[in-house]
Amino acid sequence: MFSRKIKDDKTEQKVLSIMQRRWRKFKGMKRGYNSFRILVIAYILSFCLPVLVNNQALMVSYNGHWTFPAVQTFFAELPVVGLVIPNHAYPGVVFGQKNNTSECKYRDLKVQYQNEGQGNFVVMPLYPYGYKDMVAGDGVKEDVFTKPLGRTSDGGFRLFGTDDSGGDVFSKIMYGFNISISFALLLSFIEYLIGIPLGATLGYLGGWFDILMQRIIEIWASLPLLFLIIIVVSILTPSFGLLLGLLSVASWVGITTYVRAEFYREKAKDYVAAAVSIGIPTWKIMLKHILPNSLVPLITFFPFTLIGGITALVSLDFLGFGLPPGTPSWGSMISIGLDHINDGYWWLTVVPLTAMFLTLMMTVFIGEAIREAFDPKVFSRLR
Amino acid sequence: MAVYILRRLLLAIPTFFGCTLVVFVIVQLAPGGPLEEELRALKMGGGGEGAVVSQTAGSVTQLPQDVVDAMKEFYGFDEPLWKRYPIWLGIYPRKVDRFVVQPGVPRNIGEGKKIVVKQTGTQLIITDAETNQTVSGWSVRFYKNDKGEDKIQIYKEKFSGILTLDFGKSHKYNEPVLNLIKSRLPVSIQFGIISLILTYTFCVYLGIQKAIKHGSPFDFASSAIVFVGYSIPGWALGAVMLVALGGGSGIGWFPLGGFQGPDYDQLTFLSKIGDRIYYFVLPTIAYCIAAFATTTILMKNSLLENLSQDYIRTAFAKGLKERRVIWVHAMRNSIIPLAANFGSIIGIFLASNYLIERVFNIQGIGKLSFEALLSRDYSILFTFTVLTTIVSLLGALISDMILATVDPRIRFK
Repeated sequence: MFSRKIKDDKTEQKVLSIMQRRWRKFKGMKRGYNSFRILVIAYILSFCLPVLVNNQALMVSYNGHWTFPAVQTFFAELPVVGLVIPNHAYPGVVFGQKNNTSECKYRDLKVQYQNEGQGNFVVMPLYPYGYKDMVAGDGVKEDVFTKPLGRTSDGGFRLFGTDDSGGDVFSKIMYGFNISISFALLLSFIEYLIGIPLGATLGYLGGWFDILMQRIIEIWASLPLLFLIIIVVSILTPSFGLLLGLLSVASWVGITTYVRAEFYREKAKDYVAAAVSIGIPTWKIMLKHILPNSLVPLITFFPFTLIGGITALVSLDFLGFGLPPGTPSWGSMISIGLDHINDGYWWLTVVPLTAMFLTLMMTVFIGEAIREAFDPKVFSRLR
Repeated sequence: MAVYILRRLLLAIPTFFGCTLVVFVIVQLAPGGPLEEELRALKMGGGGEGAVVSQTAGSVTQLPQDVVDAMKEFYGFDEPLWKRYPIWLGIYPRKVDRFVVQPGVPRNIGEGKKIVVKQTGTQLIITDAETNQTVSGWSVRFYKNDKGEDKIQIYKEKFSGILTLDFGKSHKYNEPVLNLIKSRLPVSIQFGIISLILTYTFCVYLGIQKAIKHGSPFDFASSAIVFVGYSIPGWALGAVMLVALGGGSGIGWFPLGGFQGPDYDQLTFLSKIGDRIYYFVLPTIAYCIAAFATTTILMKNSLLENLSQDYIRTAFAKGLKERRVIWVHAMRNSIIPLAANFGSIIGIFLASNYLIERVFNIQGIGKLSFEALLSRDYSILFTFTVLTTIVSLLGALISDMILATVDPRIRFK
């Protein structure tokens, strides 16, 4: 029994590095690991939304000529590739939709082709409603709100119903997911990008710059930052980039303070003194010696900075100072829902809140699992 | 200790100025300030109450120059940017009671007094129109208005700003900001204090139980609540509860927001309490949930860590009862990180809950300042930010003081 245990430990230590062991421990935690898998897959899939959940057709065959509008949108909305490929909207007249010079209504087109019976056809995505969709003739209020799992007056099936402008709630939620996660990921990335080098410099080098920055950090910590962001957003035209910039300006303090404290503590340790004495340049000590030692807590923080980013964006959107109108966002959906809270349209609030809740919950699970996988501390109790 | 507190207070002063400066600059640089707001209101034919303006005809597109001047003066926009901040603080004199005068023409300045300005070259002398003696307290200057016309203005100088507790007047409500804040503050403070007490009593107790029964079904089940607390912001939870438990589409157990019932004043004492509880339950839960998860976990982890220490082993070995070991020996050390957290929680509760106040439609200072933001009511915005900053600075100070009291190892030098 005793010898076997030692043998096990030995084989493990031979094969696996510390990171690999942590990864294995993380994988062992079902709740966290499954949440991680679900979120990663869902996020990757959410980039394919234009071909899965969209009001544009996957394929239109008109007079023997094939077009792929949704696929084009898919490429145009990809993060890096999209910068090169312009988004192209086909006017309805191109496909024989009479008198429609604005973007083609593909669902109507499908019905039209079926009625004509001339061999033209339209292939719609799995869920043929986009986030920009509005119900035709949106002047009539009764027609606008469709219950979850209900059908609109034109017979369209709506998974999560429609909102006050007849927009499809399900597709807004899905596109909103992509935007929320992308925003939070970018924000956390920027936070780390500012916080790590700045905190490292402050903590390791110290000096007057450190004293000055400490004052600024203290000021930043006392300011009502979300409120100030709202003031600035209300002046300027809100956009994804502006919000990202403002929230970065507001939230660099946390990571910076942490990294500073960590570097300050580490620099007093013997291994740093040893490195200095054999003449390793300062930047190398900071990058290769101290940073790996303070990286573990930074990794465990990451899911929680992500949560902070998502919550901040939803809160701003909720107050009406978030992403520009027309962008699918959970916050503005909740705000619309609360406006209609007396009318019994419960799904307008419940659906986006549930989406946000589930996402944040899974992120918390991941965070907990990572923290446990990285935490060497084991609580032992006598009684 | 006293020296430490004094030092902390002194350090808070530059921070305070830094904070107010940041806010001031952001708001001042913003276009669409109260001046533009007023001008637009006038152009649209509505009445702006800020400046000393007689109502002009509705269709005027170009405002008379003296109207614009009067407004600029009212809002301090005629001063250069760098002067506005010290003026607003009250460490640089503010020009009040301004009158434009013609040299040699007597001008009524109120209190039955008339003033005459005599011009000799570039020299200006102010005299009382009746007694012909120099008048004290008044100053006179040349100034150019926007059109470049030379005017002569008499004014009084007065130190008046936030440091003299003059927070200005709200141009929307036409009332001193201090009064507005005073009337809204009690609501916010009531919620803040109740939430603070509830959070601490409940979280500390739950944290302790979770630590003692670590790994038990109870620990597991209560973790579910903690996870909810982590993953949903207070205002969002409030919205969920409103939909589910409020009137409208919900089961109607609780009101759809507000602070007290419409006939609150006629109720008996007991039903007043009932009414309060009825309106308080949902918002209070929403307020509490923010700090709930972090505080509970902090308490649990801190106690768990202490329970695995050697001195606890010693205490058990001496034959002490478990109750005494946990509540007397372990607790004293475990409460320290919680005490350190106290200040920031005060800040959260007292300052920035405009989100929850919006969801529940509570007329607190959060909602007041959020509405002020929408209507560009500078005075309220500034006062709110100053208040928030002070509360947050005080919170940090209180944290350190509590820390010094509960942790005998900390000696501030």
